[in-house]
Amino acid sequence: MAPSLSLDTALQRLATYRTNNTRASQETFDQGCLILKSGSKTKHGDDVWAFLEQLALASIDVGRLDIADECIRQLVDKFPKSPRMDALTGIRMEASVSTDIVLQNYKELLDADPTNIAVWKRRISVLRRIGKIDLAVEELSKLLDTFYTDTEGWLELADIYTSCNQYTHALEALSHALILAPQNPFTALQFAETAYTAGDVPLALKMFLVVIDMIEHDVPPDDPPKGIRIRAWYGVKHCSRQLVAAEKYAQSASGTVVAPLEKLRLIEELATERVLAAYEGQKPGAGLCQYGWHPADHKI
Amino acid sequence: MSSSTASLYLDPQIRDWVLFPITLVMILVGVLRHYVVILLQSPPKKQSLEAIREQRALIRSQVLRSTSANSPAPQQFYTSISRHLTQAFVAGAYLKDGPPKGDAPTPPNPMDPAAMDGMMAGMKTQMVMMVPQMVIMGWINFFFQGFVLIKLPFPLTLGFKSMLQRGIETPDMDVRWVSSLSWYFLNFFGLNGLYHLILGDNNAADSSRDMTASPFAAAGAASPSAPQDFNKLFKSEIDNLAFSQGLYSWVGADVEDRVLNKYGKLLPE
Repeated sequence: MAPSLSLDTALQRLATYRTNNTRASQETFDQGCLILKSGSKTKHGDDVWAFLEQLALASIDVGRLDIADECIRQLVDKFPKSPRMDALTGIRMEASVSTDIVLQNYKELLDADPTNIAVWKRRISVLRRIGKIDLAVEELSKLLDTFYTDTEGWLELADIYTSCNQYTHALEALSHALILAPQNPFTALQFAETAYTAGDVPLALKMFLVVIDMIEHDVPPDDPPKGIRIRAWYGVKHCSRQLVAAEKYAQSASGTVVAPLEKLRLIEELATERVLAAYEGQKPGAGLCQYGWHPADHKI
Repeated sequence: MSSSTASLYLDPQIRDWVLFPITLVMILVGVLRHYVVILLQSPPKKQSLEAIREQRALIRSQVLRSTSANSPAPQQFYTSISRHLTQAFVAGAYLKDGPPKGDAPTPPNPMDPAAMDGMMAGMKTQMVMMVPQMVIMGWINFFFQGFVLIKLPFPLTLGFKSMLQRGIETPDMDVRWVSSLSWYFLNFFGLNGLYHLILGDNNAADSSRDMTASPFAAAGAASPSAPQDFNKLFKSEIDNLAFSQGLYSWVGADVEDRVLNKYGKLLPE
């Protein structure tokens, strides 16, 4: 059990989770239960409904359906005919009822109101979960055709395509996500990694460099890379190494032109330097030692 | 002799029983109006999926075009999206009633249910605004007529005499001494600030909104939004797309040089 924080701190932390879309379900559940038991609903203002929804989702995640039922009961009393409540009740049903009944329920809700995006998305996620991939893709494409600006939807579509190894379609979906959120380096990184997986090394190299360019805009050159930068530099290293090593990798399905060999060599050098700079001063295997791995135990 | 410099002495009971009651009544009626308008407002009409799709179709090309000069999408992907959109606009694939049949453009239907609802809502709000005004003016004219209420702190020209001193037939009195009806008008315009404080910004008791809105505005506002000719808009968007295609440049085009330059790994000459 988490140490008991004051109610205000707990509420603030949960509000931060809501804004950042963090899914720390166990912690949310622990702190949320404390707030729920304290029973002082009325003095928290309008935030209490968002909090109840968050607690309901976290309880379903950790398996405590009784708490989820309690939260949903309070929410349904307050908002009887809300599309958002329909989606939440649907999620609760998914946790305990067979998928046929759940899908039937969603179908009825969508017939009554075809513009209920939340329920539509739930239906698509259930279809994906039970393996009806082509139906899920069809529905998702239809949803995105109407509600184009839903970046989350495009990313999900790309994910579904990637899981079926349909990389060209995945790249197309990601390009929509990219133009909708051009400043998001994570989307560009996903694009680059998908291109690399698809075998289009020149495109992947270009996109990895685009990610670097995007995030290192105001970072001094000798700052060791952290987080997403290490991943991007690592991607650059892989791609440039392959392009320098053999001509055959320069074939690009998307028609991306490869830089001349000298530039590729310089890029590879730079990438090696940067990746090593990220792990400067650490002994080999240092990261694994915290999990109980010891280099002396493994004679390499 | 003109009494422009002499000042009248008013019964303090006038202040207690006329000045404050009028203000109080107007404030309360304003607050009441605000809540009545909120109660009368019907929820926004649900639109069908096709209608939403039609409305949002333009956004797709706008999103694509907004970053075309420095686009994150590689050439092949940008071109394919652009081409797909152009074809869809040409064929009218996004129109809610399907592709247009023949050349005769359908005139916007003024009896369109959506527009009718909009006009009804507008007229209902107008009624709620105007009726209390009439009632209060009548009440003041009936009860508080024929005496001077306040002295305005600023001078006015003689032209205002007939309006502000209605019921008091004195040709010589200074225009600054006014009747209760003018106090009503002062309150009418002046209480907006108070309504902003108590009812928040978007309050329905705002008289400035009554002044600008008229029955013509209500009818005019309803018609442009409902039967907008999306077909024409889509056709003009095709030109925009072609223009942006010409303007297109990939952000990854010179990215190697930029990154190498940043780290000082200049290319050998």
